[in-house]
Amino acid sequence: MSSRIKEMMRVATARLGGEQSPRGGTSQAGRAEASRTARLGGGGGSLRRQPQPQAPTVRTIYCNDREANAPVGYKGNSVSTTKYSVLTFLPKGLFEQFRRVANLYFLMISILSTTPISPVHPVTNVVPLSLVLLVSLIKEAFEDWKRFQNDMSINNAHVDVLQGQKWESAPWKRLQVGDIVRIKQDTYFPSDLLFLSSTNPDGVCYIETANLDGETNLKIRKALEKTWDCVIPEKASEFKGEIQCEQPNNSLYTFTGNLIVDKQTIPISPNQILLRGCSLRNTEYIVAAVIFTGHETKVMMNSMNVPSKRSTLEKKLDKLILALFATLFTMCVIGAIGSGVFINEKYFYLGLRGRVEDQFNPKNRFVVTILTMFTLITLYSTIIPISLYVSIEMIKFIQCAKFINNDLNMYHAESNTPALARTSNLNEELGQVEYIFSDKTGTLTRNLMEFFKCSIGGEIYGTGITEIEKGGAERAGVKIDDDEGKRSATAVHEKGFNFDDARIMRGAWRNEPNPDACVQFCRCLAICHTVLPEGEETPEKITYQAASPDEAALVAAAKNFGFFFYRRTPTTVLVRESHVERMGSIQDVAYEILNVLEFNSTRKRQSVVCRFPNGKLVLYCKGADNVIFERLADGNHDIKKTSREHLEQFGSAGLRTLCLAYRDLSREQYESWNEKFVQAKSSLRDRDKKLDEVAELIEKDLILIGCTAIEDKLQEGVPACIETLSAAGIKIWVLTGDKMETAINIAYACSLVNNDTKQFIITSETDAIRDAEDRGDPVEIARVIKDSVKQSLRSYLEEAHRSLRSTPGRKLAFIIDGRCLMYALDPALRVNLLGLSLICQSVVCCRVSPLQKAQVASLVRKGARKITLSIGDGANDVSMIQAAHVGIGISGQEGMQAVMASDFAIAQFRYLTDLLLVHGRWSYLRLCKVITYFFYKNLTFTLTQFWFTFQTGFSGQRFYDDWFQSLYNVIFTALPVIMVGLFDKDVSASLSKKYPQLYQEGIRNTFFRWKVIAVWGFFAFYQSIVFYYFTAAASQHGHGSSGKILGQWDVSTMAFTCVVVTVNLRLLMSCNSITRWHYFSVAGSIAAWFLFIFIYSAIMTSFDRQENVYFVIYVLMSTFFFYLTLMLAPVIALFGDFLYLSLQRWLFPYDYQVIQEMHKDDPHEYSMIHLPERSHLSPEEARSYAISMLPRENSKHTGFAFDSPGYESFFASQQGVGVPHKPWDVARRASMKQQRQQQHTGRS
Amino acid sequence: MDSSNAAGTSNGGSGDGDPAAAARRNTKMPKYSKFTQQELPACKPILTPKWVVSVFFLVGVIFVPVGVVSLLAARDVVEIIDRYDDACVPVNMTDNKLGYIQNETISKECTRTLTVTKDMKQPIFVYYQLDNFYQNHRRYVKSRNDAQLRDYKKANQTTSCEPERTTADGKPIVPCGLIAWSLFNDTYIFNRGNENLTVDKKDISWKSDREHKFAKNVYPSNFQNGGLIGGAKLDSSIPLSDQEDLIVWMRTAALPTFRKLYGRIYVDLKENDTITVKLDNNYNTYSFGGKKKLVLSTATWLGGKNDFLGFAYLIVGGLCIFLAFAFTLLYVIKPRKLGDHNYLSWNRHPAGR
Repeated sequence: MSSRIKEMMRVATARLGGEQSPRGGTSQAGRAEASRTARLGGGGGSLRRQPQPQAPTVRTIYCNDREANAPVGYKGNSVSTTKYSVLTFLPKGLFEQFRRVANLYFLMISILSTTPISPVHPVTNVVPLSLVLLVSLIKEAFEDWKRFQNDMSINNAHVDVLQGQKWESAPWKRLQVGDIVRIKQDTYFPSDLLFLSSTNPDGVCYIETANLDGETNLKIRKALEKTWDCVIPEKASEFKGEIQCEQPNNSLYTFTGNLIVDKQTIPISPNQILLRGCSLRNTEYIVAAVIFTGHETKVMMNSMNVPSKRSTLEKKLDKLILALFATLFTMCVIGAIGSGVFINEKYFYLGLRGRVEDQFNPKNRFVVTILTMFTLITLYSTIIPISLYVSIEMIKFIQCAKFINNDLNMYHAESNTPALARTSNLNEELGQVEYIFSDKTGTLTRNLMEFFKCSIGGEIYGTGITEIEKGGAERAGVKIDDDEGKRSATAVHEKGFNFDDARIMRGAWRNEPNPDACVQFCRCLAICHTVLPEGEETPEKITYQAASPDEAALVAAAKNFGFFFYRRTPTTVLVRESHVERMGSIQDVAYEILNVLEFNSTRKRQSVVCRFPNGKLVLYCKGADNVIFERLADGNHDIKKTSREHLEQFGSAGLRTLCLAYRDLSREQYESWNEKFVQAKSSLRDRDKKLDEVAELIEKDLILIGCTAIEDKLQEGVPACIETLSAAGIKIWVLTGDKMETAINIAYACSLVNNDTKQFIITSETDAIRDAEDRGDPVEIARVIKDSVKQSLRSYLEEAHRSLRSTPGRKLAFIIDGRCLMYALDPALRVNLLGLSLICQSVVCCRVSPLQKAQVASLVRKGARKITLSIGDGANDVSMIQAAHVGIGISGQEGMQAVMASDFAIAQFRYLTDLLLVHGRWSYLRLCKVITYFFYKNLTFTLTQFWFTFQTGFSGQRFYDDWFQSLYNVIFTALPVIMVGLFDKDVSASLSKKYPQLYQEGIRNTFFRWKVIAVWGFFAFYQSIVFYYFTAAASQHGHGSSGKILGQWDVSTMAFTCVVVTVNLRLLMSCNSITRWHYFSVAGSIAAWFLFIFIYSAIMTSFDRQENVYFVIYVLMSTFFFYLTLMLAPVIALFGDFLYLSLQRWLFPYDYQVIQEMHKDDPHEYSMIHLPERSHLSPEEARSYAISMLPRENSKHTGFAFDSPGYESFFASQQGVGVPHKPWDVARRASMKQQRQQQHTGRS
Repeated sequence: MDSSNAAGTSNGGSGDGDPAAAARRNTKMPKYSKFTQQELPACKPILTPKWVVSVFFLVGVIFVPVGVVSLLAARDVVEIIDRYDDACVPVNMTDNKLGYIQNETISKECTRTLTVTKDMKQPIFVYYQLDNFYQNHRRYVKSRNDAQLRDYKKANQTTSCEPERTTADGKPIVPCGLIAWSLFNDTYIFNRGNENLTVDKKDISWKSDREHKFAKNVYPSNFQNGGLIGGAKLDSSIPLSDQEDLIVWMRTAALPTFRKLYGRIYVDLKENDTITVKLDNNYNTYSFGGKKKLVLSTATWLGGKNDFLGFAYLIVGGLCIFLAFAFTLLYVIKPRKLGDHNYLSWNRHPAGR
């Protein structure tokens, strides 16, 4: 049987080999394919590269023919996201662990300690190392186990596969490329599929892509007409198509390929592709062919390599570790030289005559020195805190999983979104942020778009006044009457529409001076869009699903103006129009949509070509003002001029504007163009680029209709949050793609800029640049802009310095647009740019591309070496989020891409206050404490050994028993420091927010400077001397009335006891708040030591070990001397610290200490959390909230802080624990497109 | 899991009659706990002047009396120290001390006379003190085999005993190793006038060593048979557990200067008593320039003459009391109101950074 298959495969390989091999273009099919590609791709200079170039650029799939596909050996559909398997776990896991320098170091020390050079038994280093490794490996195994279970549940999900002539249920993992599958409603697509047919008429299906990008609006996919009849299994089994398509890649929104059926080649667009992870909606079932499986699906290819970030504190920690290595080295050198000098035959009792091993051979002192060097490295290895990294990891993990993810103050009730720490590497980085780069739309503003005003034919409609205008008027001293009751009866406020002007509402426009323009205006709004209507087809009940809230708002506006768009079929748009002539009568008009020229960020416009029922061909276009104005027909200067004025007026009111235009087309014009369009559409390579080029051909000679203005509402609490953050010394930069006026006004609204602020503006909208543009020479334009940018940068910088000197308190703001920024980022000007922007309190960059956002972030990050944070909500913020030290995604609002790229996800901008000022600050303080404490305790311990070395003839004799040394870090001093890392807080959360200035201690890195470390180091030095000499003094006299003498091991046990007690007490001394956990852990650690030594010294084992410490503790405890020393040594040791702390607090108090004192009599705060939201809850919500507060079962979902983006959340949501979405949560399609573009730019 | 999914897909739970339960299941609101909200009840110690002064004062008040008591105890101890290594070398050999000690033909006998400075109550402890003797040298410390000492069945086990593992002909040495090999072998005989002061050499080692580390049925064998004699020889008829000098010697000292208990004299000595010590000056400290001292000492509950602990307590206690006053004074001279917001950094530099 199997041999038959093999045989078959060989034959098939022979048959297909030529086609698959890129070089073997000898076969007929191969040549045909190559030539076609060449013809279609030859149109333009193909700059776009395949995202993942692979040897064969084309994949050929034979649908419904497993045997034909078998020779190629496509990967199966089972996915595995686990890092390890049962077999590889140990080797691979250990390898991963030993990639850490600290672990590798201890491995080397452990190996060294098995040699006779070592003064210590291997156990000393092996035990702590194994414990550390064990903890890390258990963590890894646990995480991997979770991933594995996840995979299993996915791989074993069932799907209907065509077997012969009927559907058979099979697990996902059995799927193969080329299989025909049937997907039922509300189930997920098991792999990337080619959509063949649907139960819906017109071969349409609706999909939800929430798992990919978080967009909950439904998207239409349309099957190729040729395959529509494959719905029933009999037909489907007859389908033998051949798909030729690109190799698997990670670009979610592109697909190029052809379907060859019956010798006919049909281009496949992304419109026929169903991606794994999406789900089917509103369709009974569909039939589709598998094209990419398992790890080759686009969603899986997207989930690869996340750039991992390390916190600045950890980088500084590396320096500290290096310093410790240097100290270690110095100590070893001193000791080694000493040993070389000391060793001498005269010490006859050392038996150094005759044959002596190299280490002690007095005849070769140099070798002695070298070997002792190694001995001492082994002995002093404890100076590097082995458990530091694992402790930090543990602390950070709990901080994320338990504190940040569960903070009620950061839970957004409306969108049901808690905060989410997606990485646990960066907690303390949050406490040191100095620059915040914020996206505007969706982050500072709500991205809830409401149609607010419009301008038609040179007339402004809409009487509303925006918040920004109100604010501006108030600043100017004008009182504006803001009484809701005064609004006219015609005012309508619904979702997406907040407009009041009786002149045009409900068809009243026909009495206006320019009714034709109004009709065009409304038609354009009603036709030129990609909105999907949902629900009942009445104006009251319909809801619009749109890729962007702007679009929905525009369609809603058209509805309110009497052009009710109520149904979309794949080829038509149905609009219920108020009759143009007669008031009150309506007619349903079907506009045939011939072409849709979609929106993307390069085009900045969107057009449809439609055919009126009377056969008239019209192109409707809407887009950004500059893009539309460029393409207007000549003439009609008046309306252009007034429209421009209106646009500026809207812009200054903080409104988002779009221009509407149309163009009548003749049939010939259209048909000749459409030919090119179809050609471009079916091209295999550079399809997007060609489509854009073709679109240019028809989007010209437009006639301006008017423009719309949409209000973009500020998020709740943004101004207050920004004010708090500024007080904390954080500088906030707004990076937006919006117009300069809008951006400045948002900056005003957010109190980033006020009237006292001195503004430095660099814009490309100057006369000089306009003149240059009019001349049209691109080189000339570039030169002019560059010169002007250079000049203004220089003069502004001088002015800023001057202003800083004359009026130091004055706020400065710097505003630049994207075009100038491009030149300012030039290496020659970068220094000035950086200099100026660092002086200014706030910086606004408008009209910037995603890439520029990232450039600005890395400019500050790398150029100024400040800690930066980027916050954004959309795909266009992804690069910025990844470029900054900390990336924050706004969750629950827009698409998931920003969240997927982020390190932390919060639901609202205002939660930054909690995230930074509370969690960040505490994490920073705690980690500083943990690290410095680790440094101190290990240094103290090691230095006692060092002092002993001096009195052992530099022989490297160990002071402590092996087990003392090995358990010191992992048992006797491990737990309390973790408690500090978790629970220590200097001031309460509310005080942290009340005194945002406290945050500056983090920005200045007050608690992890060399000075701080030096202080700890000094006291470690002092304490070690106390421990060593106070206890060493013991060995010289009898201790007790028996007159017996203590030996070395008695002394060292006593010293060790003092060290353990002191080091634990020292921790307690440095705590700002001491919970019962602290008491337990400190007392527990000390008790653990005594328990250990009581047992350890009481037993004799049959193992071959020296019973040095047998009974020592009992011997010690029989003397008074022991108790007196145990009381004395810690007190003297801590005396210095105590004195230092008292003086420091009294004379040079830290800010937090003053705040502590100011509020020391405040009651405990834990009654202070009531409702996390100050939002108004409806009675029903309030009730469910109250119920939610009742005790209940723990969620099984514990947060996936370590998980890779994309993939995990998809499956998490499949199990019902996904990221929440609001019903109106729609994302801009623009953001998807920008993401795509950015992927290109990122790769090219 | 299933039920929550069902609730999730049902329309807000209106159909299943229990919307509250559905809402409760659907909410992602974190559960309140003092732990997750970081509001665990905690004591928040603030190092106020009151605390500083009280702590210093308290420490002082406790330490000074302890110091006084310890010091008094140490003062009660009478200690006679006699360095004899140089003095016992015959006058003609002072330039060649090594030759003297290594020459077995020269008698090592030596007589020292000690005068009791103060009344000494029995028991009087006899110690020998060695200087510059690195019993804690790594090569030395590890050169022993505990298993061999405590188990006669493992008498052949001499691992880690280099270079004193076996005799030249390969027989295992018991006890092996450098420590045993270099056993101290000076002997002292005390006379007051004509009265012989018996030195009791019983119970000079710790009981735990005697009973557990050195076995009753292990006897020395092949000991000090090699070419080089490191120190004392052992009577091979006495089990190791009774060889107390060896046991004492093998509890190695922590520092290169150390005392070991030699024995006890159960006789009260009077002030100005003269004691003659007949000693055998056998042990070679001359090669490495070590000193040898004989120490007669009484002991109190705190042990031998050790002022260190008393002084330390007294000094620290005194310093604490001083600091308590100093801090009080500081607070009077340079007062700082608690929680004075003028001390906040942003109030000190109002212009901001």
